[in-house]
Amino acid sequence: MKDHLLKGVGGFPENRSLGRHKSSTRFSNKGMLNRLRPLKWHAVASWTWDAQDETCGICRMAFDGCCPDCKLPGDDCPLIWGACNHAFHLHCILKWVNSQSPQAHCPMCRREWQFKG
Amino acid sequence: MVMEPKSSTCNLGILDSLGDESIDELLKSWEGFRVSTEVLLKDNGDLSVGSDFVSNVHVLCKHGLDSLLQDFFLRSLEETFERNEASKFWQHFDAYSDLAMPEINPFEMKEDCVQKVLCKALEEICLEKGYQEKCLLMLVHALLSYQEVISKGRHPSDVERVRLLSRYQLMVSSVLMTSLPRHFPDILRLYFKERLEELSTMMAGEYEDDNETQVKDDMDLDERTKLSSRVGDMDVDETYHERKISENNKLVKNIGKVVRDLRSLGFTSMTEDAYASAIFMLLKRTVHILAGDDYRSSVLESIKEWIQAVPLQFLRALLAYLGDSVSYDGPSSGLKSPLASHPSSCYPGSDTPSEGLVRWQLRLEYFAYETLQDLRIAKLFEIIVDYPDSSPAIEDLKQCLEYTGQHSKLVDSFISALRYRLLTAGASTNDILHQYVSTIKALRIIDPTGVFLEAVGEPIRDYLRGRKDTIKCIVTMLTDGPGGNPNGPGNSGDSLLEELNRDEENQENTGCDDDFNSDDKQAWINAECWEPDPVEADPLKGSRNRRKIDILGMIVGIIGSKDQLVNEYRVMLAEKLLNKSDYEIDSEIRTLELLKIHFGESSMQRCEIMLNDLIDSKRTNANIKATLTQSSQRGGEQGEAGVSLHHLDATIISSNFWPPIQDESLNVPGDVDHLLSDYAKRFNEIKTPRKLMWKKNLGTVKLELQFEDRAVQFTVPPLHAAIIMQFQDQTSWTSKNLAAAIGVPVDTLNRRINFWISKGILSESLGTESDNHIFTLLDGVVDTSRNGVNSANCEELLAADEEGERSVASVEDQLLKEMIVYEKFIMGMLTNFGSMSLDRIHNTLKMFCVADPPYDKSVQQLHSFLSGLVSEEKLELRDDTITSAFTHLCQFWVLGSLQNTPDQSLSDSLKSINLCLKLWIFSMHLSSAILKMAIRL
Repeated sequence: MKDHLLKGVGGFPENRSLGRHKSSTRFSNKGMLNRLRPLKWHAVASWTWDAQDETCGICRMAFDGCCPDCKLPGDDCPLIWGACNHAFHLHCILKWVNSQSPQAHCPMCRREWQFKG
Repeated sequence: MVMEPKSSTCNLGILDSLGDESIDELLKSWEGFRVSTEVLLKDNGDLSVGSDFVSNVHVLCKHGLDSLLQDFFLRSLEETFERNEASKFWQHFDAYSDLAMPEINPFEMKEDCVQKVLCKALEEICLEKGYQEKCLLMLVHALLSYQEVISKGRHPSDVERVRLLSRYQLMVSSVLMTSLPRHFPDILRLYFKERLEELSTMMAGEYEDDNETQVKDDMDLDERTKLSSRVGDMDVDETYHERKISENNKLVKNIGKVVRDLRSLGFTSMTEDAYASAIFMLLKRTVHILAGDDYRSSVLESIKEWIQAVPLQFLRALLAYLGDSVSYDGPSSGLKSPLASHPSSCYPGSDTPSEGLVRWQLRLEYFAYETLQDLRIAKLFEIIVDYPDSSPAIEDLKQCLEYTGQHSKLVDSFISALRYRLLTAGASTNDILHQYVSTIKALRIIDPTGVFLEAVGEPIRDYLRGRKDTIKCIVTMLTDGPGGNPNGPGNSGDSLLEELNRDEENQENTGCDDDFNSDDKQAWINAECWEPDPVEADPLKGSRNRRKIDILGMIVGIIGSKDQLVNEYRVMLAEKLLNKSDYEIDSEIRTLELLKIHFGESSMQRCEIMLNDLIDSKRTNANIKATLTQSSQRGGEQGEAGVSLHHLDATIISSNFWPPIQDESLNVPGDVDHLLSDYAKRFNEIKTPRKLMWKKNLGTVKLELQFEDRAVQFTVPPLHAAIIMQFQDQTSWTSKNLAAAIGVPVDTLNRRINFWISKGILSESLGTESDNHIFTLLDGVVDTSRNGVNSANCEELLAADEEGERSVASVEDQLLKEMIVYEKFIMGMLTNFGSMSLDRIHNTLKMFCVADPPYDKSVQQLHSFLSGLVSEEKLELRDDTITSAFTHLCQFWVLGSLQNTPDQSLSDSLKSINLCLKLWIFSMHLSSAILKMAIRL
């Protein structure tokens, strides 16, 4: 941060500024703004799954939401990618895979389903 | 009696046989009788003519003229009475003839002498009457002695005397009644009023003494011992009472004498009326004095005590003096009033109160109840305003109403008070809601069945539905502390919701206990205490849902559905959470749990996820910080930059479950931006397939501005921080440049920068272009308004919604967005049908918009959306029917083309418009359009 940001502020047009401000310019060396620092920056962000698609191909729910069986999105209802690069809710694809014995296929592209390593 | 018919028949028979001398004798004795009667009845009557009179009577009776002479005597009595006594009697009261007009000033002056005049007049007339009675008795004696002579040995019967006296009595009262001046009842009333007041002040002294001892008792003894001691004291009290009464005896005797005199003159009912009305007036005044405007104490008991102490004592004494065998409880006494068997311990000194007295007591108590009830009902609004404190008054009112059963009076009067005082534009929604809750609580006491509450609540609910901020206020009231200020009176931070919950728990607990014991027995008890609904109950509404009054349910009932309430809560919660700079959400979690109890878990699911996000954010934040310490140890290059990741916290939300968030672009200062991307990278590392999307305009920033002599801290939204941080490099900016640097529109900037100007940190001056202002950093915070607070820790929390600026889209905005989908449907419908009513539009939408997205809005929501369209002049509202403004748009367009084109091409332009309207219709439309334009201009 710059320490000596503001010096020599006499040059600004005085013509239409308010009287209160005019008077303040008189003691120009007193109480200058030396330093401005953020003590705490509390930001807000939203998270999203870094997937190409918006919704799960199985349950048709948003990836950023959760599968029908879950209550909480995010860590509790993760996504999983197959070898074919198709993403599904973990719970959804597990259900699918378990129902498709002996060999499960990707619901999207019909390739053999394998979890991406 | 027995001989009369005989003698009269004889009379006819022997009329012819009357000899001259007997006629002479008859005439002579008749003349003698007439003269002596006249002498007797003169003013100062002379009884010395008595013997003459008797002999004359004897002679006349011998000739069978007894009925004639009785009639004659009575008539002359009547004439004398009417001529002398009655007129004299009334003359006494001539001075009061103006009494008939109520409340004139001289009234006051005369009050004092009314008593004297009345007493004197009564005394005189009674004296006269007594004399006349004596004369009458003389006649009776003469008649009797004659009868004795005729029928020797037979006892003279009393019948004749009674008959004559009652005839005389009847005559007196009829004479007086016919000549009754109009103001006489008023005089009587005045007289009794005065006497009673005198008596009551005498009694009141005693009553107060009594009260004082009672209060003293109350001080240290509990109810039970106090009661027993009262019972023990009874004997002492009684003698005390007796003594007091003997002191009052003179007064009561005076009154009794007057009453007796009046009765003897035949004014029985008028007298009773007079003292009854006097007593009632006194009672009314006492109730007003006792009850007054104090709602913090119960007055019913003291009123009852007063009734016992003053008017009943008076009546008792009076009735006792008059011999108590008053005519009005004569034959009907077989029919005992149910309260006659009431324990009579409250009548000290008499074993069983006479029935007359019991009736009086019932009358007085009913009147007292009614008076108090009227008084309280008139002030019910105030009583409910300070409800928890005024519960004694409400208990009183409840008892009164149980007695009088005039609930409908309460409902009517209260509703009109509500309309007049509460449901006005000037009352804030918060106040209305609080009053509503108090009303529910108070009326629940008065009427547990909730019938009247339903009637009273309806106007409030209707009115609140018309207010826009109702839902918001309800949510605030439910979730925040009382009145919204946490350090207000009462248990601070205790929201309505918690209170409701507590109540409910209590209710359920007691309910459970009962059920637990024995179901059958409980059911039987329940069945036994069943009572029919009050007559005022609306038969259309089943009584089942009335059993339990659910305050929350009634509040939700204002809105219509709990979904709207939950939605509003979600928005408010989001707003609150996004503006949090720490992760403290304990109170929110508690509120949410409470709401879950009432609204069910599923409807609060999204809110739960939002809170969960905060918890997760806290953990993630800590995680990222932990990895950061390791990395910063590896390369400490960030330390000197002033802003490190230590200064950065983040709330990471699952945006799908939050209400729509206002996303505005914002260029944060470079180093911060760098930090943010750093943070996002680390997040990506930890939670691998997930990434962060910053909402840079949201959040809070705590800044410290250091000046030479002090430091000032501010907590501001990021936009404000970005603005001020731009002034680090350059002390003066034009608004356009600054806006470009920050990446926001100029008008947004101009709005937000006001914050710093108002704090005296920046100054604004007009630049070369009118819309391009110049902002300059002032070199010192000249804060004339806050020079006392120049300490370093002056923290300024800026409410983010300074100018309606919110981080979350409000429910209305969301609704608008959702409704826009239907705009086309509605426009299409209206173009086809011309005009439709609101209900029809609503129903049509419901019928046809079943697919994605289904139409699920309420009529109110539709109405507000349509009014929006009306104000945009897309539609027109005409007596509750919505018409498409299409035709009007057309007219305006034509008007525009007329103005633009020269006259000769008018017909061409008409053709080109290709309206299939006849020209004259069109011109009518045209003229109305022109008119409208003129008005508009």
